[in-house]
Amino acid sequence: MKILNSYSIKQLRFWLLLMIIGLILCLAGCTGQNSMVNDNTLEDTTNKNTELVLVEREISSNYDPNFYPGSNHYIKNGSAEALFKVDEQGVVQPSLAKGFERIDKHTWHILLRPEAKFWSGVKIDSEAVIASLERSRASNIRALPMLEGLTFTPLEEWRIKVDTERSNLFVPLNLSYMELCIINADKSHDSVETMDMSGMYKVVEFEPKKSMILEINDNYYGEKPNIERIIHEAISDQETRSLAVLSQRADIAMQISNESIAQLKMDENVILYSAPASNTGTIYLNLRKAKFEDIRVRQALAWGLDREELVLLGSEGLSTPTSTWLSSNPKYKDQRTKIYSHYDFDKAEDLLEAAGWVKRDDGMRYKDDNLLHIKLMTWGQDKALGETIQNQWSKLGISVEVQYGDYSLIMTAREEGEWDASIEAWTTFGDEYALLSTQFSPEGSGNYGGFNNSQINNMLEELKNAETEQRKVEIATQIDSLAAELAPSIYMYPRVETTAVNKRLKGFQVHFRQFENAINNQLRFE
Amino acid sequence: MSLRNKSIVSKLVETGVTLLLATLVLFIIINLAPGDPIRILLGTPEVASVNNQVYQEKYQELREAYHLDDSILVQYVAWMKNVLRFNLGDSFYTNQPVIIELGKRMPATLLLTIPAIIIQLTLGIGLGIISALKHNKTIDNLIRLFCVFLSSLPGFAISLMLLYLFAVRLKLYEISHTVSLMRLYLPTITLGIISSPALIRVVRSNMLEELGKQYTAFAIARGVKKRAVIRGALKNIMLPIMTLAAHSSVNLIGGSVIIESIFSWPGIGKYALDSILLRDYPVVQGYGFLMICIVIAINLLVELGYIFIDPRLKRPERKIRWGG
Amino acid sequence: MGRLKVNKNPNLTIFLGIFILIMIVISCTFANAIAPFSPIEQNPVDRLKSPNLTHLMGTDQFGRDVFSRVLYGGRRTLVAALLATVVNTLLGTALGLIAGYYHGKLVDRIIMRIVDCLVAFPFIVLAMIITSLFGTGLVHLLIAIAIVWWIPFARLSRSVTLKYKEEPEILAAKVAGASDVIIMIRELLPRIFSPAFILATFKLGSLILSMSALSFFGLGAKPPTPEWGSMLSDSKAYFFQAPYLIIGICIFIFFTVLSLNLIGEGLRDKLDPFEIIEI
Repeated sequence: MKILNSYSIKQLRFWLLLMIIGLILCLAGCTGQNSMVNDNTLEDTTNKNTELVLVEREISSNYDPNFYPGSNHYIKNGSAEALFKVDEQGVVQPSLAKGFERIDKHTWHILLRPEAKFWSGVKIDSEAVIASLERSRASNIRALPMLEGLTFTPLEEWRIKVDTERSNLFVPLNLSYMELCIINADKSHDSVETMDMSGMYKVVEFEPKKSMILEINDNYYGEKPNIERIIHEAISDQETRSLAVLSQRADIAMQISNESIAQLKMDENVILYSAPASNTGTIYLNLRKAKFEDIRVRQALAWGLDREELVLLGSEGLSTPTSTWLSSNPKYKDQRTKIYSHYDFDKAEDLLEAAGWVKRDDGMRYKDDNLLHIKLMTWGQDKALGETIQNQWSKLGISVEVQYGDYSLIMTAREEGEWDASIEAWTTFGDEYALLSTQFSPEGSGNYGGFNNSQINNMLEELKNAETEQRKVEIATQIDSLAAELAPSIYMYPRVETTAVNKRLKGFQVHFRQFENAINNQLRFE
Repeated sequence: MSLRNKSIVSKLVETGVTLLLATLVLFIIINLAPGDPIRILLGTPEVASVNNQVYQEKYQELREAYHLDDSILVQYVAWMKNVLRFNLGDSFYTNQPVIIELGKRMPATLLLTIPAIIIQLTLGIGLGIISALKHNKTIDNLIRLFCVFLSSLPGFAISLMLLYLFAVRLKLYEISHTVSLMRLYLPTITLGIISSPALIRVVRSNMLEELGKQYTAFAIARGVKKRAVIRGALKNIMLPIMTLAAHSSVNLIGGSVIIESIFSWPGIGKYALDSILLRDYPVVQGYGFLMICIVIAINLLVELGYIFIDPRLKRPERKIRWGG
Repeated sequence: MGRLKVNKNPNLTIFLGIFILIMIVISCTFANAIAPFSPIEQNPVDRLKSPNLTHLMGTDQFGRDVFSRVLYGGRRTLVAALLATVVNTLLGTALGLIAGYYHGKLVDRIIMRIVDCLVAFPFIVLAMIITSLFGTGLVHLLIAIAIVWWIPFARLSRSVTLKYKEEPEILAAKVAGASDVIIMIRELLPRIFSPAFILATFKLGSLILSMSALSFFGLGAKPPTPEWGSMLSDSKAYFFQAPYLIIGICIFIFFTVLSLNLIGEGLRDKLDPFEIIEI
């Protein structure tokens, strides 16, 4: 009888056996690999005085902090330091360096700490610091804007002279930048053994892009932290990251999405720290297109945005509207409602009419039979924002096409000029001249639309040579206002950065520059 | 040369040509995709730069270093030469050899998928047989509804619900980014359950057909025991079950991106997707190569399995063929 | 101990399936009459309201009525998904049939090697290429889907063909001088029909679900046009705050798959009425 073939049943058993053997082999292989990974299972959650878990979207991809993303994650978890840091008020404070002196408008001195050492115990003297900065200059393109025109010379063992090409550049601010952590340039930084940095924690285990384990650095010059170990992990999914705090496995979770906040707020074990970052969500307009040549069209677009509603729908109501570019910087917060103080639909309509864009029966605006059409490029994660803008501008009779994309798609569109409007948020904290010229000078890399205005160019030149801080702020404010009025791009609101922290953890500091604030030496569990 | 050897040789040639063409097509297509890996690699400075000169120099230097300005064919030949030396190149992004990067993630992927396949098979065969035996009864209808239900829920919803239940409510599951047995069960079970409806359906319909065969009726008429009848029928439908399980295992290895991402399980599916977004050509290329190899290997296993299971394929004229 | 049993009422099953399907088609086709609100008009005051009597399925993050959006979205999504499934089923079945019939011959090998390559190929790369070369509309999404989704059908029909081609009836037809095409269409195709149909019903559901992954890359209907794929992918961020955002779509997918499934099973019982033995 065919179906009773006992041979075939043996066959079945054979396959089953094969599968089980495969499984066992596989498990064995993986447990072998596990020994290098910290197998901190659930029991550890009861004993948290020794260990802190920090999760964020991504962590360093390389042992070498000069590879992106690298440096800022090392600063974040306390394993690396820059010479200076910016405090939560926006004031530059000494960090690895002891202080600075301004000699004249082209020369600065940086004073180092004789007691400071790398993890390995090697002293951090002038030579070491310069070697590190030069290493960044040579290998880290993201550090370049901050090192442009700076020349470093060792004066004494603990004193560095910095010459600047530009006058009145506030060098300590540049050196507080997140890509400029100081590392031992003599080491190769290609494995945990050959890493040598200066922070209060040192890396003991590291799997790039996945997780990092840090322990207290006994050679640290300053006050040592309370928590013995830091586990720094990448959890890329935003919902999972929220669940990680809710489950109390993660003590600090960064880059919490705006949408998760409502849920996290309800949990009594979690404290949320939300701060608008110092960047401005901006709609860049492609000024090479004929339709944007008329300033009235651009102004109409700016008046026709209900920023309160954008904040509500685009950031879950967590941010605050800004109508000029610089106003997301705490120093310039008075600029916020200066130009486009409110939502003015009628004014927008009038401006469009005046510019010759007339509404037809279909409710759309035309000029010489051309439809007023705007192709708005936005990131896949900014979809809500894109749809809100579309909705608001459509009310003005503008046909808006929203195109989502990843980085590459948007970059390609920008290079080929196949866009009308595009959303981006640049940081607004730093040296005013550098910041403003990237946005408004013809060769600035953040000037996507090709804005070129001689009045602003002159003012930028004036800002470059401004003698006093007060004068600097004055000119910067003027440029900022004028630019907003000329509307080469439209300003909406700063992105919000939220960190969720376990209630038992004390000493967490809120900061508008997120990379400065995750791990500090005051953190402890209650 | 014997007939058998000849067929082995032709099989090898076929495999080689497949590998060559598949990797070539992938090579061309990934290079056609919009985006520039070097721009992504250099990263946009957080503070926009005014002086673009240094950036451009660096950019050119890297493009040359990675031979990105050569024609695609030249690049492909260079890549193929490396592959023959068991070298898949280095990742643009981490500078690590691709073979090591993939090798690091492969155990995690297998650890996740093999038990998931076992769960899938257990559920599929078990529920499929029950469903067929109780044809059109309540339990059969329930199982069918269950299948439809599962196939109409998005994977992220099921995963997030389970994660919330086990990690937050019950505190039985740890959310981290490590590979450990304690962290395995939830993604595995989820993956196994999500992928089971297709198998349940295949088992059910094949089983129904088998039970309708005359020889089954004869067997029952002759008083053969119920278990033995089922076993016999099951044995007869092993072929489609095995085929489906084998093919779905390929999907599970490469395509469980959502599960890997939600459970932060460091497998190759998520890694490949990230690399695609970063335009990390060597990694994408290496991944494609690996997947092709896995597909070929699994096909081979299936063919061997056919010969083991189906005696008809053992006839002499079949023996020389490995089939397609 | 055994008893012969036939599915006595395949007609009822088919009828039930068709009934549900018609209900779905009607509700989507006449969305403008049924839907209580505009699917695109934003109303921030009413955002993220849980289901209530005014908004049967709640409102989304823009304050739009989810029920209305699901209905309007169904028009586009269901048509697109059905179209894609039909194309895939036909293409896959034909190729699988040919491959199975000429098992081991060159044509079989070529088809199966193409299948291997496509399976190993990262799907997202394909989607990206289509986005960049052709554009991002719904049609392009369908092209992207059509390139790979025929594979399971090809495999299915090939294996069914392999199973039956050595059966006495088919050998007899061959001996009687029937051409290959006739054998394939007359003898083999009917046997493939019902498993392929049932497979298609299941694939339809997962196809709609997989559209959501692609909407991240900008593939799919352009906003604010409602489409299930992008609605699903948008609702992930709100999953814990507003889980009801996905429920409406899931219910519709569930009933669509169920109805087609019922039709498929019923048709099989009707066309190929075999007796099964109850034990």
